[in-house]
Amino acid sequence: MKTIRLSLTTEETVPIEAERISPDQMAGLELDQIKCLEAWLGNRRITLDALFSIQVEGEAQGPESTTIVLEGDFSRVKRVGERMTAGSVIAKGNLGMHAGNNMIGGDIHIMGDAGHWLGREMRGGKIVVDGDAGNYVGAGYRGERCGMRGGDIVIAGSAGAFLGEHLCGGSIRVEGNCGDFPGAANQGGSIFIGGSTHLPGAEMVKGSIIVGGHAHMLPSFVRMEDVEMEGERFVKFSGDLVENGKGEILVAETV
Amino acid sequence: MIIRGGIVYDPANGIYGEEMDLFIEGGRIAEEAAGPELDASGLLVMPGGVDAHSHIAGTKVNTGRIMRPDDSRMGTEPRNPVCRPCTGYTVPNCYAIGYRYARMGYTTAFEAATPIINARHTHEELEEIPILDKGALTLFGSNWTVLECVRDKDLAKLAAYVAWGLRASRGYGVKIVNPGGGEAWGFGANVKGLYDTVPNFDVIPAEIIESLAKANEMLGLPHSIHLHFNNLGKPGNYTTAIETLDLLKGVQASRMRQVVHIAHMQFSAYGGTGWKDFESKGPAIADYFNRHSHATMDLGMVLFGPATTMTADGPLEYANSRLLHAKWANCDYELEDSSGVVPLVYGRKMPINAIQWAIGLELALMTKDPWKVIMTTDHPNGAPFVNYPEVIALLMSRPKREEEIATVHELVKSRTALPTLEREMDWTDIAVMTRAGPARILGLEDKGHLGKGADGDVAVYNLRPDEIDPSRDHALVKAALAKARYTIKGGTLVARDGEILSAPPGRTYWVDAGVAEADANRLMADLKDKFDRYYSIQISNYMVQDAYISHPNVIRAGLQVREGEDRSSHALAREA
Repeated sequence: MKTIRLSLTTEETVPIEAERISPDQMAGLELDQIKCLEAWLGNRRITLDALFSIQVEGEAQGPESTTIVLEGDFSRVKRVGERMTAGSVIAKGNLGMHAGNNMIGGDIHIMGDAGHWLGREMRGGKIVVDGDAGNYVGAGYRGERCGMRGGDIVIAGSAGAFLGEHLCGGSIRVEGNCGDFPGAANQGGSIFIGGSTHLPGAEMVKGSIIVGGHAHMLPSFVRMEDVEMEGERFVKFSGDLVENGKGEILVAETV
Repeated sequence: MIIRGGIVYDPANGIYGEEMDLFIEGGRIAEEAAGPELDASGLLVMPGGVDAHSHIAGTKVNTGRIMRPDDSRMGTEPRNPVCRPCTGYTVPNCYAIGYRYARMGYTTAFEAATPIINARHTHEELEEIPILDKGALTLFGSNWTVLECVRDKDLAKLAAYVAWGLRASRGYGVKIVNPGGGEAWGFGANVKGLYDTVPNFDVIPAEIIESLAKANEMLGLPHSIHLHFNNLGKPGNYTTAIETLDLLKGVQASRMRQVVHIAHMQFSAYGGTGWKDFESKGPAIADYFNRHSHATMDLGMVLFGPATTMTADGPLEYANSRLLHAKWANCDYELEDSSGVVPLVYGRKMPINAIQWAIGLELALMTKDPWKVIMTTDHPNGAPFVNYPEVIALLMSRPKREEEIATVHELVKSRTALPTLEREMDWTDIAVMTRAGPARILGLEDKGHLGKGADGDVAVYNLRPDEIDPSRDHALVKAALAKARYTIKGGTLVARDGEILSAPPGRTYWVDAGVAEADANRLMADLKDKFDRYYSIQISNYMVQDAYISHPNVIRAGLQVREGEDRSSHALAREA
């Protein structure tokens, strides 16, 4: 088991792009090599040791036995865990945009808040957020036909707008509220929102969205029968008719 | 510059793999030259590649870029001291187009479709494409003035309009896309064949095509009409293709070339009554070309992977977007044409896509004369142009084709003739299909060959034709063609082993055709009325000014201005 600890030594106001902070990139490296990994501070090319103090404990066979622990506020550090296939990343505080981009396996645990584009286009693995998440959780990036295709994202707090846009698979669970348009253009993933939201499922063709609180529905959904699930009543909707969709939305309370 | 010891394939001059030295002086092939020497001992040497049909500039290419930020991310390359930054794969930015063609040994590419009203945009992009010589074909097939001249059977006025349209757009030749269909699409309709009436004009596509072919020959333009058939992309459309080709058999060519060039033939070689019984009619089309000599074609080869379809055939793109549930852009060009853009992915396990892939290869392998069939992917409709080496490897190697057939949908075996084809092309065939043929078809006298006075455009590849067997070593062939050892453009070494060394600007070809003053006067009175009543802009803002073409190469055609005579006596020049 190998544990790599990174803590920020400076307080930066510009974004840091550090896609090399990932078990796949770091598993096979010695401390000195990790220190020399490249990152971008704004438009300047730097090495990780210019921004972080880094400690390594133990040995790893590969990424699956590698854990990266991020200490401090990483809310300006982007693309952590990009394309990771195994192992884990634990952020003790916040983590910046694009965490878990195109992630294939392993897990990311964010104890603070997550930025925008969390787990965008992810294919597998698990992301857990103890706080809130930004916009476009599990979405496809601009122009992409498919967002998240597999894996799980669990958010204990609330999430921003366009959660799971272009979702093609996998599941997203938000315990709190969600911003506008969750599950837009959903093509087969499932979303659970514990709290309330606004206009879920626009242009969805497949998949399901469950809203535990109240939601304002689009007029292009047909109201179906009421259903009971785990002792609670939901109103079922089918749509989006704009796309001849067969998606399913269950809402506890419509407004 | 001197290129020493290469094995030269220059089929236009009857040179088929001879070891010889090449000399370039003042940007042209010469009998002797001074300056730097390049060692090409034993290596494959051909003229610089010429692409006669590629969508590289203009509004629909840019629409493709705008609607596909996902594509932009597929091909990013950072800038370096020579190159500007590159983006995109199916719709690369202007710089990437120039560098990527040059890396493959290509030095010339022609944009395949530009409405006159948007030609300024096309030229703004052509200006930014480094290295390549280029030109743009101008759309005439659904233009109101064309339709009226055809209805009135006024060929002289039609020729005057074609000459004026080429001048207005600084265009190179006459492109016809789904004739009449672009106009019908303005009313949500299409023309379903050669004899379907175009709404409001009382003409049929057959008349449009035949009249434009005759006008093209009256003007003696360097290129023939360049035709995208009616019913393109639909099952069973090969009958429309053959009917249309038959229609043009009687037209007399004004130059030593075809009277019609068929764009992306693959998309019009379909059998079946619908998508369920969709099948290849490649053999029937190849057979027609083997028996007739008035037409040439380019493949429009489909390869598996992402593509962005873009065409002036508006109704076709609407059908594509509905069929594939894909993103769709649509445009109407005032009095001129329509267009559409739809991104898609060709899948090797999709029956229709696999059959399309096979048809492209059938057309190339079953048409006996390589001068009649040139290699394109109709970039980016069938595949991005960077995949040309894959097409060449497939044409040269039956084992490679068999490997591929084993991985594609099994219907290729029952609905196409590809598995039975034994032909493996040689380097002469390839040199014709990618250099000499396209240059001759376009009427570019200084391109596609290495005779004295030709442009000093040369490609040297890291392949020893005397030692390798392309049938067996197809992977080697593909890799070598993707990165030319040397690409020389106009006597300048522009690329070496895939690295761009310099990026000089290329020239833009356009055709200036003279017409009789009386015809020009009749036309201009008519055009003035059109601009007053219908166009959103003034005629003075419509013409592409010379300022937009910093390195022009103007080809004269039509009625010639006599030596010593003032250019202002040129009827259209004065009117413009």
